[in-house]
Amino acid sequence: MRWRVLTLFLSLAVVAAGQELERSPFHGDETSIGVGKASFRLRCSACHGIHAEGGKGPPLNRGEFAAGNRDVDIYRVIALGVPGTEMPAYGTRNTEENIWRIVAFLRTFEAVGDERVDGDAERGEAIFWGTGGCGGCHKVGRRGGSYGPDLTRIGRSRSVQHLREALLDPGKDLPAGYFVVKVVTRDGRTISGIGSGIDDFSAQLRDASGKLHSFLREDVESIEREFTSVMPSYGESLSDQQQRDLLVYMQALRGEESR
Amino acid sequence: MNRPVWLACILLACAAAALGQVDSEALANSQQDDESWLMYGRNYSAWRYSPLDQIDTENVGQITPAWIYQTGESGKFQTTPLVRDGVMYVTGPSNHAWALDLKTGRELWHYSEPVPDDLPLCCGKPNRGFAILGNRLFKVNMQATLVALDATTGDVVWEVESADYRKGYSNTVAPLVVNGMVVIGIAGAEFGTRDFLDAYDAETGERRWRFWTVPGPGEPGNETWGGDSWKRGGASTWITGSYDPELNLIYWGTGNPGPDLDGAPRPGDNLYSDSMLALDADTGELRWYFQFTPHDVHDWDSVADPVLIDVEIDGQPRKALVHANRNGHFYALDRTSGEFLFARAYTDVNWADGMTSAGRPILIPGRTPTDEGTLTCPGMGGGHNWHATSYSPQTGLYYFNSGDGCQIYHGATQDFVEGEFYLGSAMENVTGEPREGSILAVDPGTGDQRWRFALVSPPTSGMLSTGGGLLFAGTQEGYFIALDAASGKPLWRLQTGGPVRAPAITYRFEGRQYVATAAGSAIIAFALPR
Repeated sequence: MRWRVLTLFLSLAVVAAGQELERSPFHGDETSIGVGKASFRLRCSACHGIHAEGGKGPPLNRGEFAAGNRDVDIYRVIALGVPGTEMPAYGTRNTEENIWRIVAFLRTFEAVGDERVDGDAERGEAIFWGTGGCGGCHKVGRRGGSYGPDLTRIGRSRSVQHLREALLDPGKDLPAGYFVVKVVTRDGRTISGIGSGIDDFSAQLRDASGKLHSFLREDVESIEREFTSVMPSYGESLSDQQQRDLLVYMQALRGEESR
Repeated sequence: MNRPVWLACILLACAAAALGQVDSEALANSQQDDESWLMYGRNYSAWRYSPLDQIDTENVGQITPAWIYQTGESGKFQTTPLVRDGVMYVTGPSNHAWALDLKTGRELWHYSEPVPDDLPLCCGKPNRGFAILGNRLFKVNMQATLVALDATTGDVVWEVESADYRKGYSNTVAPLVVNGMVVIGIAGAEFGTRDFLDAYDAETGERRWRFWTVPGPGEPGNETWGGDSWKRGGASTWITGSYDPELNLIYWGTGNPGPDLDGAPRPGDNLYSDSMLALDADTGELRWYFQFTPHDVHDWDSVADPVLIDVEIDGQPRKALVHANRNGHFYALDRTSGEFLFARAYTDVNWADGMTSAGRPILIPGRTPTDEGTLTCPGMGGGHNWHATSYSPQTGLYYFNSGDGCQIYHGATQDFVEGEFYLGSAMENVTGEPREGSILAVDPGTGDQRWRFALVSPPTSGMLSTGGGLLFAGTQEGYFIALDAASGKPLWRLQTGGPVRAPAITYRFEGRQYVATAAGSAIIAFALPR
């Protein structure tokens, strides 16, 4: 707890210091932009893409930012993170100048705006809980299953491009901790499910019913880890319009209670 | 050795003998001292092998924790504890250190020093251990300082600054005591520093010599740096080296040139980055060097243990130095001359097609990082990175870990700004292809692999081999394990509840053999039941 308090204090201190400025002091400075790009690639690219094109995190190369379009808005998000998402606070890991240089780099992208999807959120919600069967595995608020990732705040943490990719090719970029574990027992049975954990001596998995299984490697024939998704592709089972409706619904999931 | 050095050594030895303390002779004979662990690699040859055999392949399944000390501090515990006279000395992350009672694991004292908020860091705040001489312990702090502590109380005796941390220098290395001097490396290549190896007087803290790992103007090797790129050349020295008392040579590996992934600003071979250095222990003068990866653009530091073994190679007895490099090759050099003896790939390598007779990699075109990315194996962390290795004279095998897999290397040009990252871009994992790892047993005379123990994740811990025929290691998922050193068969394990990022040590205390390791943020000592 002591560290949490200290971390929060330091983060707030960096933010407080940074927020005295509205605009990055390095705005337009080529050297600082180059340094900001290097820092971005080191700290941010794993989620936001090496070219800031987005990935698990939203794209940052479109000149528009969910938290606001002033430099200080971007600064605040980097320093404090986004609660409820995977975006951590970098205020304790980066200096104030370093964060402002990342901001200067991100402001080099021309404003093209985020992709607009022509869909209807209410129809998407109906598909989610109805014909799509999404709610059988995914939770939104307190409603839904827990076999797949919780989607309560998915609209805050994923780009529309990433959501579309997850819908059509769910195995392409698996969420952390959603690999498949397949176990063959000594009597020839195969048990597979979402891996809760795997190491050099054991594996834990949840099958489709949600039941937990735990195995020691020495007790079974084999344990394999597969980086595939148990979620089916919705490329053919949903029409293009239904996919767009579903995307718009998921974009709107930003942490409110299940509708 | 010059006269003042001899005098200092004699004075220290007399004082140490009078007080039953650790003197230079004790350090030189550390391999025979079953009740102590006196330096990072256990002996000057960096073997990490103990002849202790009370715990062996037959009974290792019975070992249990004798005590656990919870440090209460967060961060990466990568320390090699020291042991002597009933006390264990442990360093931790963020400038913490402790002395523990060997009988109970109870804390005797706790040292800490704040880490400056404005310290630029690439890789966390770990520390890899103490060195000892007399009744003094020596450790580096993150802000590029070296501190001497009173071993009885933990009080600071002296503290010196080796570099300005605001420029990007930091320190994590376990010092090496040689001839009354405390030898330390430095980190900072990710920030465009120019790095070095230093030796300080153990008594006073006065600096005795410095070897710049990037030569300045007029010095041999400076011509391997285009323009003034040597000023930002990196070549850090962040892992402890070894020492041959007969040759009076210190061996120390160096890290990547800066910027890491962009070679354009620094045309040339970039000496002495990614090299093994042999320095005169008394003067710090360079006797020989061998560069593993000339003009590196993949961040393949060559800081891993230089292990000194007398071994037959191609039918000839050799005073060898063996080293598992991050670039994916295992090397054997002649430690008297630096002559290249052989290199063997030990993991997937797609950037070099063997070596010339002089040991220069034969490059495969198209592996230079680009803005769009270039798939190259091994990934940035290796291969074998920095984790401590072990040589067992009992099995005749050399043990080290390997991260296995490739990464996409992106390059980009950037200008240098003091105290900021100077990387020239970054690496990216290959989607759907997680990096894995292994523990390897290699014949040091040939590079042949005798066995390989697969790990589901890139390795995090170091190695310890013992006279009981065992190899101890740990995993990222928190297992502390004992393997049969001859076959690699797992014989025992314990889930410790935290990643094992440190190498284990072993010692005898009151007639029992203990094996101790850091796991998570705890120190655990194991023994057979009474």
